[in-house]
Parts: sequence; C-alpha cells; structure tokens
Amino acid sequence: MRIDRDTFREILDSITRNRSRSLLTGFGVFWGIFMLMLLIGGGQGLKELMEKNFEGFATNTCIAFAGETTKPFKGFKKDRSWAMTYKDVDRVRNLVPELDVVSPNITLWGRTADRDDNTFSGSLKGVFANYSKIETPKLYYGRYLNEMDIDQERKVCVIGKKVYKNLFPEGGDPCGKSIRIDGIYYQVVGVDYNEGNISINGSADETISIPLTLMKRSYNMGETIHLLCFTAKEGITMSDIIPKVREVIARNHYIDPTDEQAVFMINTQLLFGIVDSLFKGINFLIWLIGLGTLLAGAIGVSNIMMVSVKERTTEIGIRRAIGATPKMILSQIIAESIVLTLTAGLMGIVFSVLILAGVELGMTSDGILKTHFQVSFATAMLSALLLTVLGVLAGLAPSLRAMNIKPVDAMRDE
Amino acid sequence: MLIELKDINKTYNNGQPLHVLKGINLEIERGEFVSIMGSSGSGKSTLLNILGILDNYDTGEYRLDGKLIKGLSEKQAAEYRNRMIGFIFQSYNLIGFKTALENVELPLFYQGISRKKREVMAMEYLDRLGLKDWSSHFPNEMSGGQKQRVAIARALITRPEIILADEPTGALDSRTSVEIMQLLKELNRTDNMTIIVVTHESGVANETNKIIHIKDGIIGEIEMNQGHNASPFGTGGIMK
Repeated sequence: MRIDRDTFREILDSITRNRSRSLLTGFGVFWGIFMLMLLIGGGQGLKELMEKNFEGFATNTCIAFAGETTKPFKGFKKDRSWAMTYKDVDRVRNLVPELDVVSPNITLWGRTADRDDNTFSGSLKGVFANYSKIETPKLYYGRYLNEMDIDQERKVCVIGKKVYKNLFPEGGDPCGKSIRIDGIYYQVVGVDYNEGNISINGSADETISIPLTLMKRSYNMGETIHLLCFTAKEGITMSDIIPKVREVIARNHYIDPTDEQAVFMINTQLLFGIVDSLFKGINFLIWLIGLGTLLAGAIGVSNIMMVSVKERTTEIGIRRAIGATPKMILSQIIAESIVLTLTAGLMGIVFSVLILAGVELGMTSDGILKTHFQVSFATAMLSALLLTVLGVLAGLAPSLRAMNIKPVDAMRDE
Repeated sequence: MLIELKDINKTYNNGQPLHVLKGINLEIERGEFVSIMGSSGSGKSTLLNILGILDNYDTGEYRLDGKLIKGLSEKQAAEYRNRMIGFIFQSYNLIGFKTALENVELPLFYQGISRKKREVMAMEYLDRLGLKDWSSHFPNEMSGGQKQRVAIARALITRPEIILADEPTGALDSRTSVEIMQLLKELNRTDNMTIIVVTHESGVANETNKIIHIKDGIIGEIEMNQGHNASPFGTGGIMK
C-alpha cells in the first residue's frame, strides 16, 4: 500500500463524509483510552500517596509494646499492667538470632522546646543510634545520633521538620545551635525532613530525638522502655518469628506467652502486604475496566465500519470496476479504521495527560511536586501502539467484507 | 481480432439453475462500433459483464487482444479492467463525494500515476468533452448529460482498448441521448476507438455500425448498419 497524500486524502474523505457518525464512533475509543489513562495515572498517584505514608519506614519492622495482661499466668491475675525493660532488649537480641536490628525507644509527650522567643511543643524521644534503621531519617541538615552520642550521653538532638520551622523561623543551618527542653540545653546536630505519616509515638516531624541513655538519666526513667522495635534479617518472614519474640519477652515478666494483648505487636510487614495486595487488586480493576471500555469502543468502530461498507457497496463496486484491486480496497478500509481509532485515541491520551497534569499542578506546593499522577511516556506510546492494533482488528471484518464486493454489485445496487 | 468469443456458456446457480448464455460465438475487430441488442433477460448484460471481465464464464474461450481471459486472479482482472476497458454505465456510477476532476482521475490513481500528471490528463479529457468549467463540481450539481460525459471522460482516460457502454442513454432524455450517441460516434471515428453499446432501444442501436441481436442467450442476426437505417423508428435520430 502506498502511503502518500492521495491515500490519506481518500481516507479522510470517507471519514469526514459522515462527520457526526465518525465523531460518535471515535468518541467510544476516545473515552476508552481516556478512562484507561486516567485510571492508570490516578491509581499510580494514589499508590504513591499511600506509600508516602510509609516513607522512611522499614517495611519488615515489628513494634512491641506492653499492654495489660488478658490471661492469668503463674498465679498472677489478669488485667495486670507491666512494662518492658532494658533487659528485654539484650534478651531478645541474644535469643532470637533471626532479628537484624533491635532498638528500644522511650517517649515523653508534649514537651515544650524553646529557643529565644520561639517555642514548640512536640514529643521527646530517647533512641539508640540504630533507630535510624527502623525509621530512616531524611536528613536535611547535619547527621543522625551516633554511638558516641549514646555512650557519652551527649546533650545533642535531632529535630523534626516542624520543630525546625518553629524554632528556627529565620531558616539556615541550625547545627551547632542550642535549644532548651525542660531546662536542659541540647545542641542540634541534625534536621530530619521525614514526613511519613506512620508515627511511632509521635510523627517524625514533631519529634526531638535525643540519646536514650541521656533521657533515661535526665528524666529518672529507670530501666523502663516504652517500645521495642525490631527488624527481621533478610529472607525471614516477620510473622513466623513474632511468637518466638513474644515468648522471650513474656517469660521474663511472668506473662502467658500466648497472651497477644499483653505483649502487643504491630507487624508492618503485614500492613504493607495488605496495602500491596490492595493495590494489586485496584490495578487489576483499572486494567479490566480501562481495557473493557476501550474494547467496547473498538467494537463500536468495527460495527460502524461494517455499516459504512454496506452503504458504500456501490462505490466500492465502481472502484473495483475501474481497476482497484481487492488489496487496495482492503488496505483502504483498514487504514480508515486505523486513522479513526488512532485519531480518537491520541486525542484521548492528550486529553487525559492534560487532566493529569492539572491534578499534578493542584498537588504541587512550594514548587515541589508531592505525588506523580502523570502516566509515563512509555505507557502513552504503548497505548498508541495498542490503539493501532485495535484499529487493525476493528477494520478486519469490515474490510474482508468490502474485499468480497464484486464489481457487478455496483450495477446491481441501482 | 480484438475480441474473440468461442462457445461461451454461463449458468447462474441461484437456487434454480439458469442457463443464461448458451454458446456465444462472436468476433469484434479493432475500431468497430457495435451494439448488442436484446430484450431484458436475453443475456445481454451478462455478456457485457463477461466482456468487461466483471464476471466469469463457465465454458468456452474469451480472448481480448489475443490474451485468454479465463481464471484470472482478482488482481489481474482489476489490472486488465483498468488498462484495457473503459466502462460507461446507465446510472453513470460516479462517486458522489468526489468532484468531476477527481472522478476522472480515479483510474489513474489506481495505476499509481502521480497527482500532478493525473490532474493534467483529467483536465485535458474534461476539456475535450466540454466540461472544463465543471471540473470542480460534484456529480449532484450536474445534469444527466454532463454526468454521463464525465463518466465517458473517466472511461477514456486510461486509453483503453474498448469502451463498454451499458445502456448509456437509459437515464437521459432524447435530446441528450442524441448528444451522447454523437459523442460516441465521434470517438469511434476520430480515435478509432472500439465501442460496444448494450441497449434495448432500437434507436440507439441504429446509431452504431453493426447490430448484434441476442435472444434467449443465443446470438441471432448480425446486422450490418453502415447506412444507419436499420430501424424504421431510428432513422433521423433516436426515438424514445
């Protein structure tokens, strides 16, 4: 088949001859691809938004904390309060070799930090240096707490984004400057810009982290720890070792090792798994709906082309009589189908890209794009290819029918 | 010998088998102006379709310019039709959404001739048929006679060996019919074009130089008509 201005003109002529019909037919394809693109972009953006919540958070983390007992054990009644201690950290680390990082955490809520005239009320967390492996800090300035800070009980702190914005409204690198909490001055060594919405005893942006050893002493907290966070080594499923960890902790505190309320565990791996399969399901639905709509559009094109071929029996017969080969007729009908599908489809792609760009514009704050809704260039190109294939398929049946029109039919249809 | 038909048989098998052509033998020389006359159902249209390679025949032999036309592929048939035969139909069969010029160009388009050349050639033929000013008009803006002349231009543009005209005046009034027949006559005389006209009007047949009568699928009388006085109704013009 020749591809030149004339061939194209022929195709355009026949498509524009019945403008409203072509428009309505094209709309089916337009809508199909438009919905598909929009759903893909939307689903992807939603997933990203969701993942933002977990940002900086190790996906195989488990957090243990003490709740009231619900089962009597070894002569103790139920409904007993208890607390985890430092010994639990060592014990868990030694007895459960499957664990990678074991990091305790103590927290005091609503502590007011001040610097000059600026104050901020946030949570004060005592942590070890390895806590950064549980909740990865996004350090904008400085560094995280290190082993030396912990060992020497240095009065240093890492502050969250909101703390920084409130205490240092003038901006700039706050490292080396001091802030005061409960009468104690701490030197700022780092600013954590992590904004994930998963918060372990207070969200990261409102947190001031100081060495756990220092906090324990300053606030007279004894051996108590509030949370025990741990991650599993690679290749180990967290839920498999949770009973083992619970048993180790429970034994030391005279708690029934099967009491899941007493030694309460939050397994993020499970959480992530749920979210993951949720989005797999959503994705499946997106493709099902999108492709379904698109396919319906393509079938519409095929149908209309069929009607159009029937209407044009005489015309096609004339063309055949004056020298068009069946192949020429075949390629013309298929080309018409492709042009119709592709034009409508590309408009759908462009339109959906524009809408997604608008959504992204709405999601942008301070010139920083928070979530990507836009479909990738590859996805768009792939859809264009898909449209072409659909166009060929849609044109197949009508064009075969057109090909079988004999020139005598032109005269018979008078 | 341009056209040679030997014992052509054709049967339609739509339910009841219908033997339409029962052994047609016919020879037509280059430059002849012939009419095939017969009433409806006589098989004249079928014969024309076979001559125009629009339809197949069952047995016999059909040679066009020495080439045996039998068992051709659709592609070959299309090629022969395009290069050797020009068609003129009763209902003009112009393509409605194309201008006169584009309609005339169409056979050349299928030959793969460049646009510029096509336009020049089509314009030349339209000019020759007195339709130069109508080249950009659509068929529905023209009279029947004009449409038929566009169709004739379209038939001529590939410089075919023969022109097959199927009731070319069937849809025209008597004055225009005379004009069209004069035009065909002129073409035959000046270009030595071989023209075969199928008609059931004796007046039209009378304008041709040779009248082949066909009846019930067999060729009857072949009348030489150089004097154009074959039909008592036909002398001095076309009676409708």
